[in-house]
Amino acid sequence: MIDQETIGLLLKGVNGVTWQSLVMICVSFVLFYLAIVKDYEPLLLLPIGAGCMLANLPLSPLMDEHGMLRILYTFGIENELYPLLIFVGIGAMTDFGPLLENPKFVLLGAAGQFGIFITLLLALWLGFTRNEAASIGIIGAIDGPTSIYVSGILAPHMLGPITVAAYSYMSLVPIIMPPVIFALTTKEERAIRMPYSQRKISQRTRIMFPIIVTVMVGTLVPFATPLIGMLMLGNLMKESGAVERLTKASANEIANMVTLFLGLAIGSTMVGEKFLNFDTLKILVLGLLAFGLDCAAGVLFAKFLNMITGGKVNPIIGAAGISAFPMAARVCQQIAQKENFDNFLLMHAMGANAAGQVASVVAGGVVLALMGAG
Amino acid sequence: MENIDWGLKMTALGMTLVFGMLALLWALLTLVLKLDKEEEEPAEKASAPETSATSAEAEPSAAIEGNTEGAQPPARPTTINGLSADLVLAILIATHKHRQTMRRQAAPLVRAVWPGSQIFASRWLAAGRARQTNNWQPRGR
Repeated sequence: MIDQETIGLLLKGVNGVTWQSLVMICVSFVLFYLAIVKDYEPLLLLPIGAGCMLANLPLSPLMDEHGMLRILYTFGIENELYPLLIFVGIGAMTDFGPLLENPKFVLLGAAGQFGIFITLLLALWLGFTRNEAASIGIIGAIDGPTSIYVSGILAPHMLGPITVAAYSYMSLVPIIMPPVIFALTTKEERAIRMPYSQRKISQRTRIMFPIIVTVMVGTLVPFATPLIGMLMLGNLMKESGAVERLTKASANEIANMVTLFLGLAIGSTMVGEKFLNFDTLKILVLGLLAFGLDCAAGVLFAKFLNMITGGKVNPIIGAAGISAFPMAARVCQQIAQKENFDNFLLMHAMGANAAGQVASVVAGGVVLALMGAG
Repeated sequence: MENIDWGLKMTALGMTLVFGMLALLWALLTLVLKLDKEEEEPAEKASAPETSATSAEAEPSAAIEGNTEGAQPPARPTTINGLSADLVLAILIATHKHRQTMRRQAAPLVRAVWPGSQIFASRWLAAGRARQTNNWQPRGR
């Protein structure tokens, strides 16, 4: 009949199951739940969940040297290709108009990066190495591609948990931001109205903006050139209107394709034996803290601006100085509406949010520059 | 302890650099916007003489309103850049609708508003918001 060897071969998969792989498959189910039922960043969490599940199935051929997941990882993560291509798409989709209408909100974007450095300090205190601490701190940029880019260079072995943390917290903006804002502002402050006078921005200025930012940031922080260069390339294509096909391709086909590859490749790094350790838990907690600190620093800086302008700045918009665009701005608007339904802060918050987009890339470049990496 | 000292230095230096660079960007953007605005003003002035032509066009309209005998309706441009005015209007409306649709169908990352959310406001609310956003007060006062 069937000999022992054949039975062994048939049961090879079942015998290859470990408790770590089972836990990680459950984690992939949680990611599926968040993506499908809760609609939290489904474009990323679903492929990450799929990558995680496929990588943790016993003896998965996808993880072999010539397996698809391994090839996707080598092709786009090891050499930082995917995050940069995603940045082209983000640039093509982002409207920096609200920022150009109120350039002073650029400073709110800078304040929103404070969490990066405080988290770096905490990570050092918890015993992480300098490179690892800087990679964990960059979760505070609340910018998935920047987190992947920086941690891919400084601490590639921590790419999985850092990326999952960055994207999970980005999707949890509506849950994490409001308590921080409510804790740091009074009812009166949240009800401050900010009249909005739309300033006409010429197409020439819109075209000059990405060029100026690229040249300035690229010259002062060369380590940020890949990030800012790709982000602004997408925006230049969009604003020039000269290459509509390329703009559409960047914002749709390329961005969608790379998002799928990126999600699968990141998910494939979540192999149970490496992922399930105490450090991963610490990274997730520190990432959450970084996010909270960013929001808090932004709100406090906006309160400072409110003080020096004699009550003309609603501190809520400070929390939008992060990179989660445009979800952070929408949450700020919703909170403002809770206090006063007629208060319309969206365009101010969008300005701060667009500033956060640029500031997070600058912060990523500054961290790389200070670490002497690139 | 050595690592913490290094971390503190990184924090001070990093935040200074981030703030410094973004302050520089603010200054540059303000300068660009100012230069662009100054160039717009002469263009507005240049368009002023056109008012005489507009007033000349207004005369027939006033004549019609006053039931003046023999008054003719003002001549309307029937073509714009070789296209009929109706066609241009249709293209304008179609482009606007297309943009709105594209915006709504965009990926969640850039979706302006969720269908059914409060941002899809009633006309009453939209009117109130318009009053707040399009105020008549000049900037900076």
